Amino acid sequence: MTKITFDSVQTGQELAPFTKKVNQEIFWKYAVASFDYNPVHNDPEWVKTAQPFKVPYTVAHGMMTMSFMTSVVTNWAYPNMLRIRKITSKFTLPVAPGWTVKCTGVISEKHVISKGKNYVVVDLKAENQEGALLGVSQIEVVFPD
Amino acid sequence: MSRVNFERFFKTEKQREFSTDFFMDAEDYEIWNEIDFSNIREVDGEETFEIKAEDIKAYAEGCLDDNPFMTDEEYAKKSPYGGLIAHPLFVTPIIFYCVGKKGRGNWIRTPGARNPGQEIEIYEPFRVGEVIHIKLSPYDRYIKRGKYYLRYKIDVYNQDNVKKATCISTLILPQTRDDMRKFLKGQRGLTD
Amino acid sequence: MNRINFERFFKTEKQKQFSTDFFKNAGEYETWDEINFSTDKEFDGEQTFTIKAEDMKAYAEGVLDDHALMNDEKYAQKSPYGSLVPHPIFITQIAFWCIGTKGQGNWIRTPGARNPGQDFEFYEPFRVGETIHIKMRPYDRYIKRGKYYLKYKIDFYSQKEVKKATWILTLILPRTKADIKKFVEGARGLDA
Repeated sequence: MTKITFDSVQTGQELAPFTKKVNQEIFWKYAVASFDYNPVHNDPEWVKTAQPFKVPYTVAHGMMTMSFMTSVVTNWAYPNMLRIRKITSKFTLPVAPGWTVKCTGVISEKHVISKGKNYVVVDLKAENQEGALLGVSQIEVVFPD
Repeated sequence: MSRVNFERFFKTEKQREFSTDFFMDAEDYEIWNEIDFSNIREVDGEETFEIKAEDIKAYAEGCLDDNPFMTDEEYAKKSPYGGLIAHPLFVTPIIFYCVGKKGRGNWIRTPGARNPGQEIEIYEPFRVGEVIHIKLSPYDRYIKRGKYYLRYKIDVYNQDNVKKATCISTLILPQTRDDMRKFLKGQRGLTD
Repeated sequence: MNRINFERFFKTEKQKQFSTDFFKNAGEYETWDEINFSTDKEFDGEQTFTIKAEDMKAYAEGVLDDHALMNDEKYAQKSPYGSLVPHPIFITQIAFWCIGTKGQGNWIRTPGARNPGQDFEFYEPFRVGETIHIKMRPYDRYIKRGKYYLKYKIDFYSQKEVKKATWILTLILPRTKADIKKFVEGARGLDA
């Protein structure tokens, strides 16, 4: 594994995107993986009338979208032994089955503190195939150097 | 009311044990307008979570992440990590499992709940073999643009009481028990 | 380089004493690239601030707020507050005064500094008669979109050591002494 150094990272640097097409079966599998069986994600019959999001179809778990955005960072951070310290997210549009979720990230802040405490902030967004914004996230990544 | 057959997707022991029917115990769920903020005490979760390799792998698979650090035990063992590393959002199944059905925080199971976004701080990576317990307390409750938000602070510890993570868990909920009951009947129990 | 006659606006004793020339000591201001983050040590401000009614009233007037609780001592005395209540951002006046010209935190005076937004927490209201001192330390330092941000955490205490407020003070600064010097000479000392 080649390791990157704190000095070498620059704000504006883009990380490799993480893109997945989702469907109901993926929602079900995520429910199983997360133990989140909220029917808004799982039960197409119930959601036709219950419509928590005012739409008559199931929507993806917000935590799945958040996980997708996080994968942009882990793909970069884990091979470089960097530590993910904090993750915040907001979800802006419910994700429908059949959509493609594309997550992109850019290093937006570089915090110059001291060895072991230096960190960057990655700004992430998730968009669908039409470019509609599904969610945003910020992740703090600590460098060992 | 759990019409969906989830069993064909089960891969782990905990997935087989866990109750998939979020409607069944809904009458026991904490409700937005009933939470007591006058006495904010930390309480324990209903269950503990012993981390197995299958749990870490199942979560990565569930979020379609084939990163070998999370899915390939041999690869991870040979890496500087020395073993599997969990996806950072692995804290999600831990929390659902540990909160359980009847304990404090069970409002996270409310049919009709909506996720506006979350906040997670990770102090120490989760490791296979650790036994995780949680402590939770009410953190905030507010109304914004006609929606009812509830937040709990959930601290996640291992068996040695090393704090592994903190989550500020937030959901938009039905406001009252009657609103929640509407969702149980398949009606919309929200006013926004 | 202090061409403006501020004296015609002075109303309070402290205003008459305070140095209005932020260029004068600029060679001694802490610079972004020289702040020491290797220690968490807290520092005292250069001065203390004894709150007088004239100080609170002058701040309210300076922000064009004629609220009676902030301006009218008799009115405020008869109110449930019992005395003048300062505008919440009165804390700015206290911080600039207490930091002074040569002490830690004097970078807030840097010519060319830009304010991106601030963060306050209030625990106890400031009251006439209190003597406030501050304790501060470097909090964060970062580059974002080509701009150099510096943050200090400043805690405000009364003479009885009651914590009154905390301010995470942030400014975008010139990066180096040479960049500050450009501003002192009237040239632009920033890249972004």
